[in-house]
Amino acid sequence: MKRVILVADDSPTIRKFVSVALTVKGYDIIACSDGMEALEKIPNNRIDLLITDLNMPNIDGYQLILSIRNNVEFKELPIIVLSSLGGNDDIQRGLECGANSYLIKPFDPKRVLYEVSKYLN
Amino acid sequence: MGQQLNMEQVFQKLGDLKSFFVFGQKVVPVIQKIIDFMRDVVPLLENVNNSIHDSTSKIPKAATQIKNVTNANEIATSEILDIVDSMSLDLTKIRTELADLKNGFFSQRVALEKFGSEFKNLNGKFDALKSGMSIDELENKVTSLESIIDKIGTDSTNITISLQVQDITAQQLASVNHLIQSVQKRLSSLLFDLGKQSGVSIPEFDIDEENRDKSFNEDARYDRGHGKQELVDNIINENKKTSQEEIDKLFAR
Repeated sequence: MKRVILVADDSPTIRKFVSVALTVKGYDIIACSDGMEALEKIPNNRIDLLITDLNMPNIDGYQLILSIRNNVEFKELPIIVLSSLGGNDDIQRGLECGANSYLIKPFDPKRVLYEVSKYLN
Repeated sequence: MGQQLNMEQVFQKLGDLKSFFVFGQKVVPVIQKIIDFMRDVVPLLENVNNSIHDSTSKIPKAATQIKNVTNANEIATSEILDIVDSMSLDLTKIRTELADLKNGFFSQRVALEKFGSEFKNLNGKFDALKSGMSIDELENKVTSLESIIDKIGTDSTNITISLQVQDITAQQLASVNHLIQSVQKRLSSLLFDLGKQSGVSIPEFDIDEENRDKSFNEDARYDRGHGKQELVDNIINENKKTSQEEIDKLFAR
């Protein structure tokens, strides 16, 4: 059974980059453009891992991660942050919210694959 | 006695009046200067007003153009990514085909050697059959081709990483658009205030709702160095160390 990864990013280009990198390795990708959409998709799909941006409209990445960590059913979901925010405070805040990994844009597809495989293989 | 008091009051008032006239004489030239200044400034203010009006009406066009640039870049990037993806798939196929070709040739060559050794040269005809590429030569050729394929693969990955500049540019353009729209808002409000006083009609501007809501990082930078990621990794490792220390402490109790 294919593992399903939810990609939340308001940039269509980044959604495509991540999808291309992971589809080749046999993962199924569900993409959405903001945190609100992600929160709608998580209960309705069998999501194995979430890759999320932090700067997003409606509900941002921090709120999205906190919502997931506060949900009894999904609190164990592995979360990888993929963001251009590279300041100490941003990183600390992302990790404190509950992200498992934090990757900086521009990212190396191989590193994304490595992080994904850490949680899914 | 009463008349003397009244006269004193009259003189007092006259003194005040005199002071007022003296003050007036000093003030009149200043007022005149202010009037002259206003005469000069009013056309200038009208010019400023017209310029603001003109600039404000151009701002939505600039914002739309920036948005169009972002969209065009996005489409082009997506197209390039599709091509790179297709190239990567082709490379995978070439790798597989090459490996099959190498294995097939190798098996054939081994069979031929075995055949030659069993039938003792077949009156010199076996030498002619062996004149093709040797196994070692084939091995070297295939290794060389594989390294070229690997290089193309690495180049494709690098193109993918470089293409992410589009996302960074889009965030910076969104930041510029946000700034432009803030200026437009302030200018519109200024024009509204001026218009209320002068009765001038105020043009209506469309604020791009999509762009207003677009989130962006104005500090987004395209940096292909690994410095930032190393910083993140260090922070994560530090956090892990702390967690481990906490766990150790817990079990030491």
